[in-house]
Amino acid sequence: MLTSRTFVRRTRAGAVVKVVREHYLRDDIACGAAACRLCPPAAANGSAPGPEARPSGPASSLCPGPHFLLPDTNLLLHQIDILEDPVIKNVIVLQTVLQEVRHRSAPVYKRIRDVIQNPEKHFYSFTNEHHRETYIEQTRGETSNDRNDRAIRVAVKWYNEHLKKIEDEEKIQVVFLTNDRTNKEKALEEGITAYTCEEYIKSLTANPELVDRLACVSDEGKELEGGKIIFPEHIPLSKLQQGIKSGIYLQGTYRANRENYLEATVWVHGDGEENKEIIVQGLKHLNRAIHEDVVAVELLAKNEWVAPSSVVLQDDGQNEEDIENEEEKENILKTSVNKDMLRPTGRVVGIIKRNWRPYCGMLSKSQIKEARRHLFTPADRRIPRIRIETRQADTLEGQRIIVAIDGWPRNSRYPNGHFVRNLGSAGDKETETEVLLLEHDVPHQAFSQAVLSFLPKMPWSITEEDMKHREDLRHLNVCSVDPPGCTDIDDALHCREIGNGNLEVGVHIADVSHFIRPGNALDEESVKRGTTVYLCEKRIDMVPELLSSNLCSLRSNVDRLAFSCIWEMNHKAEILKTRFTKSVINSKASLTYAEAQLRIDSTTMNDDITTSLRGLNKLAKILKKKRIDNGALTLASPEVRFHMDSETHDPIDMQTKELKETNSMVEEFMLLANISVAQKIYDEFPEFALLRKHPAPPPSNYDILVKAAKSKAIILTIFASFFLSFQNLEIRTDSAKALAESLDKAESPTFPYLNTLLRILTTRCMMQAVYFCSGMDNDFHHYGLASPIYTHFTSPIRRYADIIVHRLLAVAIGADRTYPELTDKHKLADMCKNLNYRHKMAQYAQRASVAFHTQLFFKTKGVVNEDAYILFVRKNAIVVLIPKYGLEGTVFFEEKDKPTPKLEYNSEVPSLTVEDTTLCVFDKVKVNIMLDDSNIQHQKMRMVLVEPKILGSDMPASLSAEASTKDEPEKKKKK
Amino acid sequence: MASVVLSEAEKLYIVHGVQEDLRVDGRGCEDYRCAEVETEVVSNTSGSARVKLGETDILVGIKAEMGTPKLEKPDEGYLEFFVDCSSNSPELEGRGGEELGTDIANTLYRVFSCENSVDLKSLCIDPKEHCWVLYVDVLLLECGGNIFDAISVAVKAALFNTRIPKVRVLEDEEGTKEIELSDDPYDCIRLNVDEVPCIVTLSKIGYRHVVDATLQEEACSLASLLISVTSKGAITSMKKVGKGSLDPESIFEMMETGQRVGKSLHIALQKILDEEENLGTSRPKVGFLG
Repeated sequence: MLTSRTFVRRTRAGAVVKVVREHYLRDDIACGAAACRLCPPAAANGSAPGPEARPSGPASSLCPGPHFLLPDTNLLLHQIDILEDPVIKNVIVLQTVLQEVRHRSAPVYKRIRDVIQNPEKHFYSFTNEHHRETYIEQTRGETSNDRNDRAIRVAVKWYNEHLKKIEDEEKIQVVFLTNDRTNKEKALEEGITAYTCEEYIKSLTANPELVDRLACVSDEGKELEGGKIIFPEHIPLSKLQQGIKSGIYLQGTYRANRENYLEATVWVHGDGEENKEIIVQGLKHLNRAIHEDVVAVELLAKNEWVAPSSVVLQDDGQNEEDIENEEEKENILKTSVNKDMLRPTGRVVGIIKRNWRPYCGMLSKSQIKEARRHLFTPADRRIPRIRIETRQADTLEGQRIIVAIDGWPRNSRYPNGHFVRNLGSAGDKETETEVLLLEHDVPHQAFSQAVLSFLPKMPWSITEEDMKHREDLRHLNVCSVDPPGCTDIDDALHCREIGNGNLEVGVHIADVSHFIRPGNALDEESVKRGTTVYLCEKRIDMVPELLSSNLCSLRSNVDRLAFSCIWEMNHKAEILKTRFTKSVINSKASLTYAEAQLRIDSTTMNDDITTSLRGLNKLAKILKKKRIDNGALTLASPEVRFHMDSETHDPIDMQTKELKETNSMVEEFMLLANISVAQKIYDEFPEFALLRKHPAPPPSNYDILVKAAKSKAIILTIFASFFLSFQNLEIRTDSAKALAESLDKAESPTFPYLNTLLRILTTRCMMQAVYFCSGMDNDFHHYGLASPIYTHFTSPIRRYADIIVHRLLAVAIGADRTYPELTDKHKLADMCKNLNYRHKMAQYAQRASVAFHTQLFFKTKGVVNEDAYILFVRKNAIVVLIPKYGLEGTVFFEEKDKPTPKLEYNSEVPSLTVEDTTLCVFDKVKVNIMLDDSNIQHQKMRMVLVEPKILGSDMPASLSAEASTKDEPEKKKKK
Repeated sequence: MASVVLSEAEKLYIVHGVQEDLRVDGRGCEDYRCAEVETEVVSNTSGSARVKLGETDILVGIKAEMGTPKLEKPDEGYLEFFVDCSSNSPELEGRGGEELGTDIANTLYRVFSCENSVDLKSLCIDPKEHCWVLYVDVLLLECGGNIFDAISVAVKAALFNTRIPKVRVLEDEEGTKEIELSDDPYDCIRLNVDEVPCIVTLSKIGYRHVVDATLQEEACSLASLLISVTSKGAITSMKKVGKGSLDPESIFEMMETGQRVGKSLHIALQKILDEEENLGTSRPKVGFLG
């Protein structure tokens, strides 16, 4: 039967259009019950089976008989955690519900789809909207919500009547679950068995642990009765939108401050210049916003503006009622500040979109025995603590758990949430790795069967077909140079003399795009992962291992498919000709950096590969010099390497990474290949080339660097020359070349590490390098490399961007077909956004992993005494760097139970005077390092300042530091 | 317009018949052919109607869109007419039918130019800023004589059927306006069609005049008079078509007939529209398959 659904809709342009959809009603839709003989049997298409004939769900004291559950939309949205529990089975999900869920929350929709797919769960999605007897039309005066509620009730009724017809001794009942009071009343009136979720879950006497996972969404009104109201009300969305349009409010992304829980910034998404930051300070002004939410803020009057505080504050109040205490803390923020430092300040008036996700963290058990309400402390310090209700606090103590936020009523100091999952005990390596992968949103599940099905069949060999568009380069003396233990080799090099006195240099990159064809499940999974994530002892692959470590990896003495970039160069390293081709190579050797270095330096070895390496090395040096002359920056960031115990996989030693000449040799050619490819694909596809840019940082970013350099000059006059160079720098940071030169000049014979420190600080001033689509942007410059155009081509095994670049280049040289998505600049721009996000997250995960291993390392080490340099000075703390371990830590000068030492902060220099000792940037200090595991959640590196001694404080232990992973700008991956 | 070629003898036969108040198909001079009216035949319009008058077949669709009011009438919405007759005969295909289409559209503009015919003020959403524009699209499916009457009946039926979604203008303190759409599809404006006129075409044949002339009769008529009449019998506009001339005496006669016939036409139409309306949504639609 045909009917049509009509609705009116407003288009984005403001027009009102009437939309009419044809809607077909059928009478052959199965109810899904296995015992049902009235319905046509479901097509055996391998989809998950429906509810069981004898529902085997958990025993409920409310309805002892066999029953199916039928939840409504809100219940599904809020209590998805419960529904995902293996105990809950035999649930009917109506199409109406599914559609509403899809509309309101994409993540929940995905989760429920997954549950429906799972054959163990016996979930069944019933297309009630297309069933002749359950389809209803919206009646006059009924809102679409009411209509959907009614549709759900009609379906429940139909089910009950339908199941009655099954001739069976025991009737199956359908239980309607809703938390909506009016809906439940209406259902009961109509003779439907209906319970709230709470009632039902509590009735599952055999499974009391489920109650913990109930989301606490009680009526707002009820909550408000008790307790005093802490927060101002949120303004409703419709009013917010009007306000934003008229400019009273500003819309932006809320970013909580990692170091100070009473401060946050809101990034206003404006066009161009309006893109600004607004500071929000104090609990009331923060008004229950949580990190990453999209919020509306109202600017305060100018006389109420504040400066970003340099105080480090952590929320560690145990008691909820200590609001007065908070006010006290807030006052700390309002210390007198320089007028110039004042920034636009605002308060959050409403939430436009919550961006809650399940958070990893630990339970802070309530001190009251037998208490059920506990606070949960998330691992991410930007997330406030969450109050959860659980009866298994004893088992959960010391475990890493996942908690989801349900809501944040106005009278509650903390948001309410519920327990989701237990990850394992804290400090455990597996658990911690899982936590950091989850916290950084790194997809790390095993590859699905669908993805694996697109892998080539083994044994694999190169076919005639493959050779058609390929050049056979197997005769060349190609070799690869990589760090030790590398199994995903994606680049190899060669260099040889050709007749005319010139050199032929080739960079051969694994041809991953040959194996990953656009649009299939393998491709989709790779684009979702975006990058391979390297942790200290684990690698989360972007592509399945068969490809990453075998078929694509350019191992020695096997034939491998490659994408080659071949130049003809003269001995001055000037490029005479550039050629790209798909090829087949056979690497003659896989070397480590050290091995390659040995060969180059050796006087006895003179084989083809060694000559080739020497040629490459010679050219690389010239290339590097040229690049630096052009103004490319050489920056430093301490990189750490762990030596692992082969048995326990515990770190036994820790060193900063050492760079050899061969590192820079490989790097130089990779840069060259990337630039050549970038130029080629941009020439060929000016609108949709995927490129990488590194914007020049705004001059204000350098403030801290210039100030720091100056301070050194003021205090230590021996740095006169250095001072001058920084005077120059002040004017000339606009060009990378000037900066590079100033950095080179900033040497001091008495302080050799100074240069490195400056370079580390400079790195912090840099912007992030990002991928972008050439058709959507017009600034292509790569500031750090001083190259007008750049892309990533050389690591397709571990970066998805390179695969796209490979595809573009293959189309450009006629070696492959194009496909629609490749030439859609909007899709490409979206992809860039995801890739940039994944790269950032991968880096944070990597840093977190290093931090964790550092802690493991110091756990075994005990107390260590080391030299350190002050990197930054804060109002009540200093940030130090220990060069030996590349470890960075914040040192506090206040502690709760101790008298606060007299602190004097000078923001001009910047320096901090503690009692009589003045500490300023770049000062060399000595610290004792040890692991502070008093708080298992955030194990800290506790540091004791040994030199200089602070007068008046005989207890140096009052100075603690903790290893922190700073948001430093992406360190440049040159490969 | 499609026309038939008649021999002198045939014409004579028709003319003589009319003289005797006996038309070829058995009607009297003031009788209409049997008419069929169905509304809501095109679901994605705001209102639509199909009218069959003898052989003549007309489809009218009305689309309501938001636009800006005309400068001279800032607080009113307006109607736009468009007539398409390309489906009619090969010679009208493509741009061939444009002239005829514009001609009919202009006639409709004239008929609706009377202030009271449609309450245009009710189409205003926000003076000077937004109003509803009703695009009246007339499709001539088949031409079997007397298209003007059929079109006017179809337009009236379609207007009767038109449902315009209700919008509200929200204004905040700053004076910025926001248009909000009601999410209840039943929440809509209906137009009052009491004053919408119908056209009665009176064709002069010999010494007499007939209403609702067939193609053959039109071929015998040298001049006809289009009168738009409201349901109360008021004449809102008049137009003479055809190459012949009419003497004043007979014009008055024709006007009188037009008023009389028009009133009964309105009554019959309104009755049938109300009847259809009362059937509600359960009414089985005939559409183009019936």
